Amino acid sequence: MDAVSISAKDLGVRFLFDRYQRAVTPALAHLRRGGTQTWGVHEMAFEIGPGEGVALIGPSGSGKTTVLRLIAGVLSPDAGRLDVNGRVGSLLSTEAGLLGLLTGRENAALLGVLAGMSRTQSEAALDQINHATHLEDAFDRPVLSYSEGMKARLGFAVADHTEPDILVLDEVHEALDHEFRQIVAERAHEALSGGGIVIAAGHDHPLLATFCSRALWLTDGKIAADGPFEEVRRAYLGDTA
Amino acid sequence: MPSPDTLADVRRSWDVLISLTISDLKVRYGRGGWRLVKWIADPFALVGVYLVLVTLVLDRPGEAPGLSLACAVIPFQLFTTTIVNAMSAVAARRSIVLNMGFNRTLLPLSGALTETVAFGASLLLLALMMAVYGVAPTLDTLWLPVVIATTLLLAVGVAYPAALLGIWMPEIGSFVMSFVRVLFFIAPGLVPLSQISGTAHDLLLINPMTGLFESYRDALLYGDSPGAFELLYPAALGVVLLAVFVPLFRSEQRQFAKIMEP
Repeated sequence: MDAVSISAKDLGVRFLFDRYQRAVTPALAHLRRGGTQTWGVHEMAFEIGPGEGVALIGPSGSGKTTVLRLIAGVLSPDAGRLDVNGRVGSLLSTEAGLLGLLTGRENAALLGVLAGMSRTQSEAALDQINHATHLEDAFDRPVLSYSEGMKARLGFAVADHTEPDILVLDEVHEALDHEFRQIVAERAHEALSGGGIVIAAGHDHPLLATFCSRALWLTDGKIAADGPFEEVRRAYLGDTA
Repeated sequence: MPSPDTLADVRRSWDVLISLTISDLKVRYGRGGWRLVKWIADPFALVGVYLVLVTLVLDRPGEAPGLSLACAVIPFQLFTTTIVNAMSAVAARRSIVLNMGFNRTLLPLSGALTETVAFGASLLLLALMMAVYGVAPTLDTLWLPVVIATTLLLAVGVAYPAALLGIWMPEIGSFVMSFVRVLFFIAPGLVPLSQISGTAHDLLLINPMTGLFESYRDALLYGDSPGAFELLYPAALGVVLLAVFVPLFRSEQRQFAKIMEP
């Protein structure tokens, strides 16, 4: 297998709106004339290699979540090219891909299969996932009774159990309690030392600094700066101060 | 001979489809034996209401009216519930769709499978109605699996455009359901086609439900084999819908996360 990597070239993601400013798909845009479009990500290029922890920083609406969704396979590029080489584990929202009416156990079984495990593997992993989340009895209760932190812990444990080469985190790790943030940081370090990639977005810069040595500063869907984390962070904070 | 990669892809898609369906069954119908009661109670209640309408209000009972109605209500129930399920198939999994990449083309199919489980349970009502009216199975009852397969093909076929409509225009959901309900009444749902004559008889043949309803009656009530047109027309429509809307859904699913933004 090739080395774990992410490569983006002239990457673009376009958002289409109808004349009432409702977001629409391309097929619907053909039917509803008179709409507008905007590029959420535009002509973006970067390379991330094995063992790199990369933070996406920037103001809200700068394209951080869109880039993470592209890497996680949630979205496809509308322009340019994105090559993701390696198994991706993603935690992109506080809902963590969980369905409220299902129990933690049922959600874990479903998400394990969607993340690439077989049904047998996913079922066999459930006790380990329960152990990793410390949810205990709550693991068999509906997720709608969970706090944001419990959801994030379950979502992270499922994503982590699939042994991803590339770990994608979007702010949700900031919803975690202190103990679990420590676990996330440790797992991120393990992934990096094993030649994996961690790419995370958020506004908690001290947390990001624990596992990201590099940062991309995004603004208006473009890269404003790319370099060592502390250097880019200072530039960003200086710019926004 | 399929390559090992192809077989692995098929196996993986199967696992995803089954997992989505199991979770959908739990979300939509809960857990335990009460689900069976609900699946049977829904068509049973509908048949009861229509039976009162046909025998007392319209005074056109015909032959074994309860069984005749069940032959229409049960397949139509699958058609309706599949559309309802499909229209929310993506939105109901919003948290998953926004969090990870997976084969989302399986979502409408999974919704149709969920409703097929309920449909399977409601088939018990047909057996019950045959017993009530003393209608014995004949050799033509063996057509039932073919008739059921045609029903499923049409249901899966409509699931894809319904799922796209649910994403594109969720606000028209109630209008779509009103239109779907009309399809029952512009088909021989309440009375069999043999009791309808003239232009109305010919026009009803345009509705694919007509062939399906009559096929169930042929196999279970009249002891006849279904006419070729009765089965081929809805089956062909199902195939055409799949041929048009599965590729469109596959193309559109890459954009779902954009229009599901809060």
